[in-house]
Amino acid sequence: MTSPETPAIDMGSLRRFEPARMRQTVLEMAYAGSTVHIACAFSIIELLTVLYRSHLRYPSNDPHAENRDYLVLSKGHGVMAQYACMRELGWLNDSHIQNYFKDGSELKGLSDSRIAGLEVTSGSLGHGFSVGVGIAMGLQRKGTDQKVYALVGDGELNEGPIWEGAFVAAHHRMDNLMLIVDKNGFQAMGATDDVLALGDLSAKFASFGFETLEVDGHDEAAIDAAIHQLWTKGIGKPKALIARTVKGKGVPFMESDNRWHYTRLNAQTFAEAINALGLPGAPK
Amino acid sequence: MRGAFSNALVRLALADPKVLLLTGDHGYALFDEFRKRCPSQFINAGIAEQNMVGMAAGLARVGFRPFVYGLAAFVPIRTLEQIKLDIAHDDLPVVLLGDGAGFVYSHLGTSHQSTEDIACTRVIPGLEVLSPADRFEMTACMDYAYAANSSIYLRMGKSDRGDVHTNPIDTLQSGRLLKVRAGRTDRPGLIATGSMVRTAVDIAQEQNLTVWSAPTIKPLLIDDVCAAARASTGLVTLEEHSVLGGLGSAITEITSEHHPTRVLRIGVPDQLSKYCGTYDYLLNEHRLDSTTVARRVDEFVASI
Repeated sequence: MTSPETPAIDMGSLRRFEPARMRQTVLEMAYAGSTVHIACAFSIIELLTVLYRSHLRYPSNDPHAENRDYLVLSKGHGVMAQYACMRELGWLNDSHIQNYFKDGSELKGLSDSRIAGLEVTSGSLGHGFSVGVGIAMGLQRKGTDQKVYALVGDGELNEGPIWEGAFVAAHHRMDNLMLIVDKNGFQAMGATDDVLALGDLSAKFASFGFETLEVDGHDEAAIDAAIHQLWTKGIGKPKALIARTVKGKGVPFMESDNRWHYTRLNAQTFAEAINALGLPGAPK
Repeated sequence: MRGAFSNALVRLALADPKVLLLTGDHGYALFDEFRKRCPSQFINAGIAEQNMVGMAAGLARVGFRPFVYGLAAFVPIRTLEQIKLDIAHDDLPVVLLGDGAGFVYSHLGTSHQSTEDIACTRVIPGLEVLSPADRFEMTACMDYAYAANSSIYLRMGKSDRGDVHTNPIDTLQSGRLLKVRAGRTDRPGLIATGSMVRTAVDIAQEQNLTVWSAPTIKPLLIDDVCAAARASTGLVTLEEHSVLGGLGSAITEITSEHHPTRVLRIGVPDQLSKYCGTYDYLLNEHRLDSTTVARRVDEFVASI
């Protein structure tokens, strides 16, 4: 890891955690490492932007601070989006990005809790949420006002432990816990509706005892408002934010094309994707 | 032995409010004392073992000391991936308590029996594996597990077979074999763990064999195993666990490399229970009854 003193990247005219800039980081990593899971990272970019900008409380120089809020990335295959946030913070530098997947790279293709800034080892799905429930239970017992956000994929909801954890969170009145579902409508082999139809997720989580809201997962202002609203509603209830997202969001030829769960970039698609982000200074 | 377990748990929890007991809706009478004296530290996580183990990892991440109780068939077997990824991966201080290991639930059939848990946990990096034989070892193992502040699986098997030690054990030393009985050095020695230490002691009398107990199966000190091999003409391992991957395998991994010697591995053959019955009946079905074990040891002694 870089030291906390490492300056954040030069963001020019863009604010920190700017979605287009984060997507650029994802593309740079994916191209440098010839990796998959690009679309899986793109669907959660705005969710992470809003969380890191406006909701997660943490000292920007200490990923391990005891008083931090926790963001548990249960859908570990979206990890490049979180790496992008860590680059914005200066917790990762250009070398991490350029050497992604090179022999000896610390940064793996799925979330690894040994990396400062990542809270859980996930990728095997249905793990992170349970760990998040345990963290929330521990913070609740300590009586702190810290919050836990657990970001899960909609395909991940196939996993049994998600629902075990939902039982426990509601029973123990964990109102310091927010489950965020990245509802992009796809999982590895196809549309979620074709694999195992999810039905009405808000109704499902509401029936478990969650306070729920649905939101456009790419509308920053709406996400921000929904998170605020959930924390102020439903005292004693865990929260579920169902975020309607687009897999591959931000690059038109990737959007809702599930091949970009597994497709790797070549020089041409990399250039086209970067161009599609419309970043200042990018070639038209 | 179960009394020693409950006493130790209550004592540790009273001394440290960070100690939490999580159970997957098991331990009805076993935890009466704990629930009475440490009610706020008792968490029934429901019949949801996978989530329970993940949750224990989360609790440990924010400073708690979870002891996670289940039947060995569920903790660790059903939850092995959670143990590997959520707990052992970061050496979190979680003690996993697998009760009823072996054939304790002799009438219930395969779902509640566990003869593969040592093999499965032993190969998880960073996870230590304990297997006490009597109440003295149980107390020492519980104290060790708390003090170690790391990821531990504690196997609890048949608990009413009586003491094998005569005195409390001051401090459990990780990886050490405990000599339970001194015998002839011109005969094979017996190394047993858990419930089978009692069997080993019983059958050792007639031929005057040395018996060691292995309360820690992982790690196992190379020096202790080699010393046992040097002090005898061969080794017999005994465990209420598959002959594949358990104590016998751990011992032969060491002897084959550091002190080649003949080793007879006595354990559960590579099979599941076909019938149900008393505990003794099940031991007989799996050729772990004292008569069969004694005959096999005699044949081994005669063959050397």
